[in-house]
Amino acid sequence: MALFGAQEYLISYRYVVKDAMFYNEKLYIAHSMQKCQGVEQEPLTLLLKRPTNSLRQIIEEHQEQFLSYIQTLGIDIDHSEKTMNLQNSSTTIFTLKTTCFKVDINDNFAIIAPLK
Amino acid sequence: MKYSLLLAALLSMSACASNSMVQRAPVTTTISSEVQKVEVVNPVEVVSKHETKKSCMGQNVLKENATLRVDVVGQGVAPMNTASPAQAYALAKRAAVADAYRLIAEKVKGVYVEGNDLIKNMMVQRSTVRTSVKAMVRNAQVVETNFKDGLCEVEMEIVLSHADFAQ
Repeated sequence: MALFGAQEYLISYRYVVKDAMFYNEKLYIAHSMQKCQGVEQEPLTLLLKRPTNSLRQIIEEHQEQFLSYIQTLGIDIDHSEKTMNLQNSSTTIFTLKTTCFKVDINDNFAIIAPLK
Repeated sequence: MKYSLLLAALLSMSACASNSMVQRAPVTTTISSEVQKVEVVNPVEVVSKHETKKSCMGQNVLKENATLRVDVVGQGVAPMNTASPAQAYALAKRAAVADAYRLIAEKVKGVYVEGNDLIKNMMVQRSTVRTSVKAMVRNAQVVETNFKDGLCEVEMEIVLSHADFAQ
């Protein structure tokens, strides 16, 4: 499905888990300053509760859906664990690498499709 | 007389030498038989080890034209200072998903392990073990989620095929 009139965004997301506890998360969204290369992949459609043009707001409102969607694209996992004198500590970083998405926002829904 | 004594001595010496050679011959044969024995025994042992390895790993080997399913259960804990039970669930689930991804990466790719012990005056002063995993995981699916007493358990699975790793 081709998205006509859609804008291109660069999105990356990461969260950190320390000692099996959620520590922090960061969502980076930026307009692409040059045209992205690649073909549109299977899109994610998000129904909007109220009209908005802010992609950040849309993603934060549908975070669960967005998270399960980006898991199909590929997630980088970086885990390190240290056991010192039988005391254990661990850090896991879950990352969606910067990916170009074509985003079409209407009054009622937003369609987000990655370019690969 | 002198010559006869000398001759007798020489004969006895040569007889001793021949005796010792005869005695040595069985030693060499026994050694060689031992060597042969070892050569026969070792392959049997190697084969049996190989078989045991095969039987242990048989289920987890990715074969051509077949898929392999890897199941893991990740665990995450809700933070203490959450605004609501829903927030606690959401955060614990996210931690559990990351843990499950880590387990998948450990199973499929492997773990880098580094150990370090500091011993001073015959006593262990410090013992450190560091492990790390780095991987990219795609198409893992959440099968089931349980949340009880602040602990979230997420069961995830990934189906691997030989083509995923073919280069």
